[in-house]
Amino acid sequence: MEAVGQTLRKNRTRLVTLAVLAFLFFTAIQGMETSDWTITLLRGLSVGAVTFLVAAGLSLIFGLMDVLNLAHGELFMIGAYAGWTVYVRPDTFVDLLTPVALVAVGLTLWPLWHALQAGRGRQPSRVWLWVALAGAVVLLWFGLTRYPTAIWDHEVYAESPITYSLALDQGLLNLPAPPDFEASPFLVLGALLLGGIGLAVALVGFSRRGQPAGGDTTISRTPLLAGALLLALGLAALIFNVPLTDWLLNMSSTLRFFVAMAVAAVVGVLLGAFIEVTMIRPLYARPMYQIMLTLGLSFIGIEAVRAVWGRPEFTFPKPALWDASGEGCPATGLGGWLENQCSTILLFDGRVRTYNEVFIIFVGLVVLIGIWLLLQRTRIGMIIRAGVQDSEMVEALGINVRQVFTLVFALGVGLAAMGGVLAAPSIGLSNDMGTRLLLLALIALAIGGLTSFPGAAAGAVLVGLVQQFIIKYGQLGINLPFLEEPFKPSPPLVPASVVLLMVIILLVLPQGLFGRSE
Amino acid sequence: MDHLLEVRDIHTFIGQFHILEGVSVSVPVGSITVLLGRNGAGKTTTLKSILGLTPPGRGQVLFEGQEIQGRSSFDIASLGIGYVPEHRAIFRDLSVEENLKIAERQKGDLARKADLIFSLFPDLKRLIKLPGTNLSGGQQQMLAVARALVADNKLLLIDEPSEGLAPVIIEQMITAIRTLSAETTVLLVEQNFVVAEALAEHYVIIEEGQAVKQGLMADLVQDQATIHRYLGAA
Repeated sequence: MEAVGQTLRKNRTRLVTLAVLAFLFFTAIQGMETSDWTITLLRGLSVGAVTFLVAAGLSLIFGLMDVLNLAHGELFMIGAYAGWTVYVRPDTFVDLLTPVALVAVGLTLWPLWHALQAGRGRQPSRVWLWVALAGAVVLLWFGLTRYPTAIWDHEVYAESPITYSLALDQGLLNLPAPPDFEASPFLVLGALLLGGIGLAVALVGFSRRGQPAGGDTTISRTPLLAGALLLALGLAALIFNVPLTDWLLNMSSTLRFFVAMAVAAVVGVLLGAFIEVTMIRPLYARPMYQIMLTLGLSFIGIEAVRAVWGRPEFTFPKPALWDASGEGCPATGLGGWLENQCSTILLFDGRVRTYNEVFIIFVGLVVLIGIWLLLQRTRIGMIIRAGVQDSEMVEALGINVRQVFTLVFALGVGLAAMGGVLAAPSIGLSNDMGTRLLLLALIALAIGGLTSFPGAAAGAVLVGLVQQFIIKYGQLGINLPFLEEPFKPSPPLVPASVVLLMVIILLVLPQGLFGRSE
Repeated sequence: MDHLLEVRDIHTFIGQFHILEGVSVSVPVGSITVLLGRNGAGKTTTLKSILGLTPPGRGQVLFEGQEIQGRSSFDIASLGIGYVPEHRAIFRDLSVEENLKIAERQKGDLARKADLIFSLFPDLKRLIKLPGTNLSGGQQQMLAVARALVADNKLLLIDEPSEGLAPVIIEQMITAIRTLSAETTVLLVEQNFVVAEALAEHYVIIEEGQAVKQGLMADLVQDQATIHRYLGAA
């Protein structure tokens, strides 16, 4: 009993705030029909789920390594575009597998280059590193431009992503014939392989500068095996290029969508690991530089996407499972939806979209539970929770905390990238989708408490709910006693209300809802 | 080899500050050695430099005759060095059990050491499921020491174990450290001269980043002039 009383006293402000929020919610739904408020609630949860996928990684990364990854939103965007490529243009995706795998071979052998350079004793001079880097860039440029890749052309409307998206949606997708090698295949493949190795050697050399010479020269077998496996996979993707493309094209669009989500997650994980190891790691002692680095990366991300997929927005066709509107639709229950693959489902006489308001929330919940289990039930999770408080002490226990940093960064980016694919059928693909979501996610983090995982979830849901209820009231109007006409919040008030919520909560609870004062 | 740890003339810089300007410490196997000195003399930095948390820029650190300076902290710790930092840096979000479990270097470390740990600190057994944030200061300090005992450590670096504790808890802590030193070598930092005197066999005095005097504790106790000069009124 005493413990309960103590907990209550300690969390008084927090409990009062939560009570006020609950009161506001019940007041907000008083003026609405049941179907209106359930749908608004579901929409809020849906926006919250997508925000959460970005906020979760952001919060874990900030908590564990004090890095505010401003590129997180753009990685969400890149995930969406990568997923679109797998989903709409599987031929391009399959064509890209081989060059990416060959370049990655060199990078996977990172520990080998490390050990070799440590074994030499003396550090190579800076000039040689630049020569290796320049050589690698030339080789990669040669290899990547000569490698036959079927790709869209965003400058020609008939071959632009917009057209391919529309064609797929109408079932008229017609992919161009696969191109052939123009240069000798061995030359191209060799250039890609060597380019990747040169890149890795140069990066290892740069990362070793400023550190004492010498070091561990033992090599474990894992990176060698991984490198060999990647090489084999890359060559297999080249040999089985056509069957693989056909298999992806002919599978059901629902299944292909799941493949797209998985691929985006993998792309995110790899990209995250690469960014952490090569760029963030040298900057742990310089927080200001990290901010500038991640901000710079976000601009590079946007421009890269513009260069490849173009500026105009385009749609992500909805997978079949959530797309039908014919007989038996809208479905009256989950069974009816699964049978007829309806795009909507009836709930209290209102139409709930099965993708936006059911599937997205479902994935959000699965990820929430998954991360919670990872944090609470595994040794890695224990190390992460401990590291959020004091990563130096974790290292002093003999735990390689840098490895955990890389893992968490990669996982966080992977989640964001998967979130991008998840959100794309609902919000479409645009160059600024990441920037907008990053802002929401940052607000969610501030509300929930920067380094608290439950806080990230609660903040994301709150942000989503407030946004959707204000939008709904923009249509319904609020009856205020001193106004003749009902007050209708205009669209610009939607983002403003989210920021206002953050300001009020931070005034009352400077650490956020679940944050802890240090 | 009669010295488990030998620190030879290390210089440590933090940012632009030259914190350690030549510290040498020898820790004989099986002994308790204490670092004495005023606040800010560099005692804590010496411990952190040994562990690589603030890597020394110059000088050598030898553990079991092997040079370890310049290696990563986790690597150095894995050689068998346990660290009990000042201010009882336990993990507040982890339960007592998790605080111990996280220190395992091999599966089953905690199960093997449970008897030793709970005989030294019986309180922890009762509190095992409690989150670290609910522990009192004394319990946190016990947990911090217990955590360093989970893995098979040959050397313990203990920073100010008596700081801010009630006298009765300090007594318990002295008994515990004395018991565990039967199997483990200890390098201690201690401001409380009474505690240092009760525990240590060897001492090293650090003054403004330099090791200025070392010897047997029994001799130092007789040497009021030295105590007065370097440690103030004891």
